[in-house]
Amino acid sequence: MKMPSVSVNRREMLAASLAAAAPRLRAAEAKPATADTLIVLWMAGGMAQTETFDPKRYTPYESGTPSNDVLSTFKPIDTVVDNIKISEGLENIAKVMDRGTLIRSYQAGDLGFILHSRHQYHWHTGYAPPQTAAMPHLGAVISRTLGPRNAEMPAFVDVGQDMEIGAESAAVKAFHTAGFLGADHGPFMVVNPSNAAETVRPLKELGDRRFQSRRELWRQLTKNSPLAQAGGFQRDAILRSVENASRLMDSPSAKAFDLSLEPEKSYARYNTGRFGLGCLLARRLTESGARFIEVTTEYIPFRNWDTHESGHERTVDMKRQIDAPIAQLVLDLEERGLLNRTLIVLASEFGRDMVTEGKPDKKVKDQVTVPDIMTEPKHYGMHRHFTDAGCVLLFGGGAKKGFLYGKTADERPCRTIENPVSIENLHASIYQAMGISPETSYEIEKRPIYVTRDGKGKPIETLFG
Amino acid sequence: MRLRALFVCVSAWAQVDYQTQVHPVLAAKCFACHGGDKRSGGLSLRDYQSVIDGGRSGAVIVPQSSGDSLLVQRATGQIQPKMPPAGPGLTETELATLRSWIDQGARPAPTAAPAKPRFVPTLELRKPGGSLEDLLNAYYKRNNVKVSAVSDAMYARRVYLDIWGLVPSPEQLAEFTTDRGSDKRVRLVRQLLAHRENYAGHWFTFWNDLLRNEDSFGTYGGDRKSISKWLESSLAANLAGNQFLGQLLNPRRPEDPDGFLTGVNWRGDSSASQMPWVQAAQNSAQIFLGINLKCNSCHDSFISKWKLKDAYGLAAYYSPDPKLELVRCDAKTGEFTGPQFLYPALNRPSGESLEERHAAAAEMFVDPRNGRTPRTIVNRYWAQLMGRGIVEPRDDMDGEPWSPEVLDWLAAELAARNWDFQWLIEAIVTSSAYQLPSVAEPAPAKGFVFRGPQVRRLTAEQLIDSLSAITGEWPVLERGNQKQARYVREAHRPASPLSLALGRPFRDQVITERATDATTLQMLELVNGKGLYEHLNRGAMRLLGREPAAPPNLFDSLAMRATTPPVKIDLDVSNLKEAWLVVADQGSYSPGQVKTDWTGVELITANGTEKIGDLHTTAVETHKLDLRGKNARRLQATVGINAESNRSDINPSVRFFVFGEQPNYHRLIPVLEQRPVSAPPSALTRDELIRRIFRQALGRDVTAEEFRLAQATLGETPTPEQLTDLLWAVAASPEFQLVL
Repeated sequence: MKMPSVSVNRREMLAASLAAAAPRLRAAEAKPATADTLIVLWMAGGMAQTETFDPKRYTPYESGTPSNDVLSTFKPIDTVVDNIKISEGLENIAKVMDRGTLIRSYQAGDLGFILHSRHQYHWHTGYAPPQTAAMPHLGAVISRTLGPRNAEMPAFVDVGQDMEIGAESAAVKAFHTAGFLGADHGPFMVVNPSNAAETVRPLKELGDRRFQSRRELWRQLTKNSPLAQAGGFQRDAILRSVENASRLMDSPSAKAFDLSLEPEKSYARYNTGRFGLGCLLARRLTESGARFIEVTTEYIPFRNWDTHESGHERTVDMKRQIDAPIAQLVLDLEERGLLNRTLIVLASEFGRDMVTEGKPDKKVKDQVTVPDIMTEPKHYGMHRHFTDAGCVLLFGGGAKKGFLYGKTADERPCRTIENPVSIENLHASIYQAMGISPETSYEIEKRPIYVTRDGKGKPIETLFG
Repeated sequence: MRLRALFVCVSAWAQVDYQTQVHPVLAAKCFACHGGDKRSGGLSLRDYQSVIDGGRSGAVIVPQSSGDSLLVQRATGQIQPKMPPAGPGLTETELATLRSWIDQGARPAPTAAPAKPRFVPTLELRKPGGSLEDLLNAYYKRNNVKVSAVSDAMYARRVYLDIWGLVPSPEQLAEFTTDRGSDKRVRLVRQLLAHRENYAGHWFTFWNDLLRNEDSFGTYGGDRKSISKWLESSLAANLAGNQFLGQLLNPRRPEDPDGFLTGVNWRGDSSASQMPWVQAAQNSAQIFLGINLKCNSCHDSFISKWKLKDAYGLAAYYSPDPKLELVRCDAKTGEFTGPQFLYPALNRPSGESLEERHAAAAEMFVDPRNGRTPRTIVNRYWAQLMGRGIVEPRDDMDGEPWSPEVLDWLAAELAARNWDFQWLIEAIVTSSAYQLPSVAEPAPAKGFVFRGPQVRRLTAEQLIDSLSAITGEWPVLERGNQKQARYVREAHRPASPLSLALGRPFRDQVITERATDATTLQMLELVNGKGLYEHLNRGAMRLLGREPAAPPNLFDSLAMRATTPPVKIDLDVSNLKEAWLVVADQGSYSPGQVKTDWTGVELITANGTEKIGDLHTTAVETHKLDLRGKNARRLQATVGINAESNRSDINPSVRFFVFGEQPNYHRLIPVLEQRPVSAPPSALTRDELIRRIFRQALGRDVTAEEFRLAQATLGETPTPEQLTDLLWAVAASPEFQLVL
């Protein structure tokens, strides 16, 4: 398989780039962008919607309660927006709801059985694997189509996901990639935001001085090689890339990665753990001209939002991790005048329910044993994977303020009853906000591959403006 | 010549214009079925290029010969069925226009040059007369290619890298360059090919990419099966290519590679166009025939003659159900097909059982009348060794070869030689073509003339393995749950950030060409990645004879999970000064939360029993017991995972060890001494090291200036750090990273 090519006005092909293998862009006419930067806050593992942003009737834990009676294990709380209530534990986000749009009707794809990594792949690329081409991550498409905002800042930064997570490692790696768009548009990975600075600083083992002297030796040897002229464009590409990589490390933008430079007070506001610091890093990178940043609560099978047991107790902790930093991120960007042109999207691969696995009319094989009657606190929580409804939050970047979109039923199965949102249309809306037409495609092996599946994504216009 | 020039002059005043005269005729009479998105018989007459390209039956226009042009033959009914099949046919005037236009050269515009007849690939294979060199020489002469051969040293570096995937050692290089024999290049190639382990160690990667084989990848919850064992042994045995294909397409024995037909499947539902048998059709057609069935696995192709039915026809050979319903863009059509090969002339009665259909498929791919498969394989090997195929893109073998004769000679010879892949490599790398100086400019997509191999970048595997060969420090593979690890080549390890940065692909799809462009993110890994640093640092310590000690463990529990019963330890600790109780994680979801128990830890001493009690550690902690002065004879304990850790979000998997001295955490289990190639001599002086590194990495002697720079870096007595830096500077140089 070769690298693909993008197309403008569909017919107007851009001249092939230098590498014969580079995919050609076939851009379609787009509306003017309302956002320059996209931040995805990824709730990895399936965030229970009825426990977070779509609260239903609250049922406290009591041994002997039928599981089917439980819709929410948290009380609803008011937000600053009259018609929006969310869930206890999200008090900080409740205070900034007037800056954003809440979607309650995201419907995840019907992929048969539930496999987190496969739904994540679907969310992030718009395509369900397997595919005949290596599909690029949303961040890679944005990197390739728009390029970096700041040449010294990688256009696609991914924060918080360790790639070695056991059995699903390969599946998670499979979409954390630029795929056919080529390695230059792949993610710049920062696993632990506290150490982010290390990714752009000489290795600890090397240190600054050795790093510099080693590079000087490399320059001298390269220059003095009797074959210094051999290798043509391949040699030039290597020389240029080594210098670029070094330059990235020397650049002022590299400081944005260094959380130790953040004032103590501000650092503390974000510091609920890795995810919170990831939000802080996202803010700093946005200030420095980042194009796309994803911050994840990290997918590890059965951990974080992947609650197969003790759902209530674990959701308390997940909310503690996300609530303050997300609200702070919104406020900080607003204060800096950046929120208008920065789109924040909070999403998850699907929702959760205590009873239904999949969709009410398209149930899939149960993967979690849920007793009919709760007898232990560990039974209390949303443990099954629900694909009929899920929540998405949008802040900034032209998204409506204090707006609620989509509706779910108040009784089980709590399915989406108004304005269902598919991944194609959600992506189309995001791409449109970024100034990319949903009909944009890349040509690979002479065929077009669209940034929304078959170019069919339609922006949901009412979310913006 | 004069006559023809005259003809052109005379007819110039009556030149037929495609756009204003021919196109309207075709639009009026033919577009109902051949109008673009509709391409009956694979033929579109929508625009000039489509007309020239023709359809499934080949070209429909033979420039300057209307009588031989299918378009005219059909329009007149000379060849049935007459076209158009319904409605009024072409009028005499319309026919005359078409005829004149074709006879005048089928030009896109009156002033343009006559159309070049489309290259029509044939299915059958005829070996051109003469030797390969005769054909190449004729090509050089026709295209004014300057012929010369690269130096011995450069040649040796090329063939070592291309056959073994390793740079030659200084000794190997010297042996070759001092050889006076006139046939020494052929002898070297044969000698390299004869070392089957090293050969297979390199070509394993080439075939892994093509067959999308990956050991280290999980199953994605669905089916996926490694074929590594079969692949390595088939390469090492130099299994005849037709049998090689036969076993892939018709796996019978337990050791056969059924994983190839299984494909890559994820848990849950797949698109109809990704069912295992459709994947098998796509993959076998792409890899072995250079035919892209990806578009038409979903709908009739808009860019080629292939239809939905063609993809399903081939898929039916691989499907448990021989009758497949065509599914267009995930909507059932109600139309069915049975097994039908892409080349109907090769169709075989396919029988009732899946086994019979597999057998039929295998036979069709290697049928002696099928020249397409050997051509495609020859082209893939050529591209691998030369950086560009004889046909490009190499996945579309309908394209025009820069030399049909060279391609067909090699393909016919390959088939005649029992599909001997090693012979093919030998034929290519001993040819004058391979020995030409390399070409440093990107190959143009159009108008390519072969002038020598393209400059290539080392693959991730070649680069890492070559560094290992230079230092003698190889990656270690701890496979599964074994008490011993071994040194391996990079291809046997799971992909790492370093190898991925250097271009090792995910093999979820068939990879027929790796991305070779150097990018900033890749180089960041090379410039500042931990993986390369550590590999070179260990290598430097090894070259200096200063590897860290790796004491053997006294106890290894192997992997224990929450459900594994506790294990009793009873070890002889007499003569030990200390005992280290180590727990290492083996892939728990949450290593920091795993609680492990060392219960009833006791020392049996000369004076009785000393109870130490229960010790608890996480999966990443170590306890050290001081045994000095205790006269301890035995250490006893029971080890296991604490019941509290038996939770889905922890999913503990750990391994318990006991050591008699401080362990080397990189070497908790012993590594078998054997290395892929012999280690460099030990106890080299600084200057010897410098000479050796340059000679091996770059295939040439260090220059005086380089020598001075290296000496200045290493100082009088080099430290591992200084040597690491020198190794890095050489490894990061374009000269090392390229095959020149």
